[in-house]
Amino acid sequence: MVVLSAARWVRSRLSDRFWRVQEVLKYARHFRGRKNRCYKLAVRSVRRAFVRSTKARREKKRSLRALWITRIEAASLEHGLKYPAFISNLLKSQVELNRKVLADLAIYEPKTFKSLAALAQRRRQEGFLAALGDGKEPEGIFSRIVHHH
Amino acid sequence: RYVRQLQRLQLLFSPTAADARGAREFVEEAAQDFARQHPDVVLYVSPHSGRGPAPVLRAEYLNGTVRDELIASKTSEEIVQLATKLANQSGLDIIRIRKPFHTDNPSIQGQWHPLTNKPSILTVQGPRLQPQ
Repeated sequence: MVVLSAARWVRSRLSDRFWRVQEVLKYARHFRGRKNRCYKLAVRSVRRAFVRSTKARREKKRSLRALWITRIEAASLEHGLKYPAFISNLLKSQVELNRKVLADLAIYEPKTFKSLAALAQRRRQEGFLAALGDGKEPEGIFSRIVHHH
Repeated sequence: RYVRQLQRLQLLFSPTAADARGAREFVEEAAQDFARQHPDVVLYVSPHSGRGPAPVLRAEYLNGTVRDELIASKTSEEIVQLATKLANQSGLDIIRIRKPFHTDNPSIQGQWHPLTNKPSILTVQGPRLQPQ
């Protein structure tokens, strides 16, 4: 926009100020108060909003995992198991489902979740027997490990 | 079988404007080849004489979306590339897809509600027993 010819340097005025301002204001339209209308306030708010959204991407993973854990804990308590027992026994029975899938199963497939809780409970009992029974009884069925080669 | 989602391409330009030079060259040289390579797309060339708006390539899709692309001060090759890009697109909006999956029936066993794992005494109402 500015004409930079050495001999005749004339200061020209900005003609697309409206669109430059709209580029920023379009991201501030859903804000509260004067920051959705006034450019000076909106610039600061939009910049902070962008910075927060970049930082929040790392937090989102943490908060979603916490949400899944809460849900799995609630669902397993309905079936009489606590969350650490449920998860550890599922892993010992080689059921490697992640928390996202377990939470979705707990919501949309409650019977499957019930059977998973029963599996974890059974593996837990076998673990207790193996630790306390001391070798006289045979090894538990669900404690057997399958090796995939 | 593949159905091309692009319905028609409308090339709106003015025959005298300076920034429509690429559009004019496209019409002279590459438009026929493009039309032959994409037989299911209808190509409309509509010059509006005089000082009209900027030259634009308007793409209309089968789901009704209309997409305008500015072709002012573009070379003929760039316009060909742009036209092929539009021809390979579908008419869905270009926004961030929240989830890459979608189901209409997310629950097969029945979605959980607070009474799923409770004893059925609470929900089932049998015939009311008369006090003897």
